[in-house]
This record gives sequence, C-alpha cells and structure tokens, in this order.
Amino acid sequence: MVKLGRHTVKTAIICLAFLAAPGALFAHHGSAVYDTGKTMTTKATVTDWLWANPHCLLEFDVKDDKGNVVHWTAEVSNPPDMIARGWSRKMFKAGDEVNITMVPGKNGQPIGRISSVEVGGKTYTGMGAPPVPGADKK
Amino acid sequence: MLKVLAVTCLISLVGLAQKAPAPKRDLNGTWEPLRGLDGVQPSGARDMPADGKPEHELPYTPYGQEMFKKNHPSNGPTEVSPGEENDPGHSCDPHGFPRENLFELRATQLIQNPSQLVMLYTYGRNYRVIWSDGRELPKDPDPHWFGYSVGKWKDDYTFVVETNGTDSRTWLDNAGRPHSEDLIVEEQFHRVDKDTMELTTIINDPKVYSKPWVAQNKLPMHLLPPNFTLVEMMCSPSELNEYNKRHGNLGTITPKK
Repeated sequence: MVKLGRHTVKTAIICLAFLAAPGALFAHHGSAVYDTGKTMTTKATVTDWLWANPHCLLEFDVKDDKGNVVHWTAEVSNPPDMIARGWSRKMFKAGDEVNITMVPGKNGQPIGRISSVEVGGKTYTGMGAPPVPGADKK
Repeated sequence: MLKVLAVTCLISLVGLAQKAPAPKRDLNGTWEPLRGLDGVQPSGARDMPADGKPEHELPYTPYGQEMFKKNHPSNGPTEVSPGEENDPGHSCDPHGFPRENLFELRATQLIQNPSQLVMLYTYGRNYRVIWSDGRELPKDPDPHWFGYSVGKWKDDYTFVVETNGTDSRTWLDNAGRPHSEDLIVEEQFHRVDKDTMELTTIINDPKVYSKPWVAQNKLPMHLLPPNFTLVEMMCSPSELNEYNKRHGNLGTITPKK
C-alpha cells in the first residue's frame, strides 16, 4: 500500500485546484479599464511589436468589410511572463497576418488586452492564461 | 490548458514519494514560486490581498490609515485610473523591500557563504545581502530601498531573517499598503526537502499596524536546475514612456466601493 506524505497530499490539492479553476486572471496593472465581459476576434496585419516593460504591445491594422483600416494597440504582460507562455521578442514582424482574440477597452478606443494570437500557424495564449510549464526553462 | 497542467501535476505526484531530504543549513540554488506566478501578486500581499474581504482588512493604526489614504494604487479596492495613480514603481523608483518579495517574487538565486546569504532577484536585477555572521540589526539605521538584513539558523532547515532600515517612500505591496521607517520584516526560509522551500514573510510596524500580520504564509518555492539563467526584467524609463505614449489612453474608471 502506498503511503502519502504531507507534501504529496498538498500537491494533490493543488492539482485539484488546477482542475477546478476557471482560469487564472493575472494583471500587472488594473483590469478595470477593459470590458472584461466582451471578447472580440479579428484578422489583422502587424505593424509593430514592442517587447518592453511594463507590458509588451502589439500594434496592428484591422480592415473592415468596406475596406476601412483601423489601427489598434493591444497589450500582453511583461517579457518574463510572456516568455513563460512561449512568446519572444522576434515572434512578430511588420506585415505578419495574425488572428487576434482580445478584450477591448471600455472607452471605445481601438485598444485591447490580448487573450490569444495565432501567427505562423501557431496559437499563443496571452494575458489571463496560465504560463506554459517549462516554456521558460529551455 | 488547466487539464494539461493538472495531468502534469498529477504525474509529478509519483516523484514526490521519492523526494530527497534537504541538506542541512543550505539554501544555495535558484528558487521559484511553485506555481510560476504565485509570487507575482498584483492585488496585494499573497496571503492578505486587498480584495475587500473582512478577513483581509489590515489592522491600521490611525496614523497608518492616513498614510494609506495618500497612496493611490492601480490595483485593489482603492484602484484609480492610470492617470491618477501614484505608484512609485510606475515611475521606475525601486520597489524596495519587502515589496520585491510581496509583489514581484520570481525566480531568485540564493548564494550562501559563511557570513552572508545573497539574494539575486529577477525583477530589476536587484540583490540583497543578508548578514549571517552573528551581527545584530543596526539600532538607528539610515533608510535604504532594501533596508538592512541579518539572519540566523533557527534549526538545520529554517533560516530566519530580520530587516529594518527600510525607506518609507516604498510601498509594502502592489495595493499601496504603507509602512514607516520603524518597519521590521521577518522572513522564514524553511527548506522542506532537497527541491522545496517555503517562504513566510511577517510585517511588524507598530506605527502603522496595531499588530504584526503575515503577508506570505509558507509560499512554496521549488529548486530550478543548476544551469537555469535568470531572465532580465528591468524598469526602463524609456520603455515606460513608450508604453504610456502608445497605450496610455485607457480612459477613467470608477473606484470600487
């Protein structure tokens, strides 16, 4: 019979918490400026990628059905947090076609917080998602 | 994603049954909170968050309450708009101690010699020197961003550190909890086994709080591989300006009641 130690039991509890959690919410700055009840997904063309503290910023153009282009700026967390999710300084370049899912700002301006982005056939989780185990240990 | 984490976690249970024992009086190595972001606490100290719950109300003295009212954080129940906050860290002032532990505790390298424990933090590439040569805390220290620290072994697996001489311009945590220059912080580094350590941080500042309170209670940290390299994470004024220029128009918010 296997005897479970105190720490084994603690870890089991943490594992169950992972299963039960609706999704870890993380924000360096306040999240109150975002309309967290909304999510939007759009195709976009990258114009710039700022890999910086306190948060990284992706700038991109979105074209509507009539051909009008709107320029957006959306953030994720800081570089170490994004490295832990598999992101990197070189993952975007101007002209990249991407699919972005984000939470828009409350004030109606073209700003957002990225939940996930698909680029080069790979999907990366943004803010509000837990880190990818081992992504920063390579 | 959560299910993947859960499966990974459950697999690790098998390994737990075979944990190697902790070496005696040895904290050397690079340690990281067990869950990667458990040491990053935007809403205040991990075990006393500013979430409005009665059990997390801090025991402010009248003087402490007045100090707290002057701090306008961008997180927690007293959160204000980006243009109205006065978080010293957001102008790249040092977070100082104990905020380094209570807000941005990431992978941290501990280097031990016979008279010191040196801590190399990820955030800001900051370091602390904790004297373990038997000296006492200074009686009337000049304030410093990271204070003055001394430590000693309580037993073979628990190293207890006391820090005074901190700078009252710093906040205790990301929720704007204040402190005075009378603050004494106690940290307990308890090595559970070869790969696991628990960190407890206790705040004792009679001028601001009517009784000591536990800000981190046995935060679990795990030992990273010996070849792990700390990631650079700096507050750069030019990067901050660029961020604010590009993404500063976030509108205003109504403080939570």
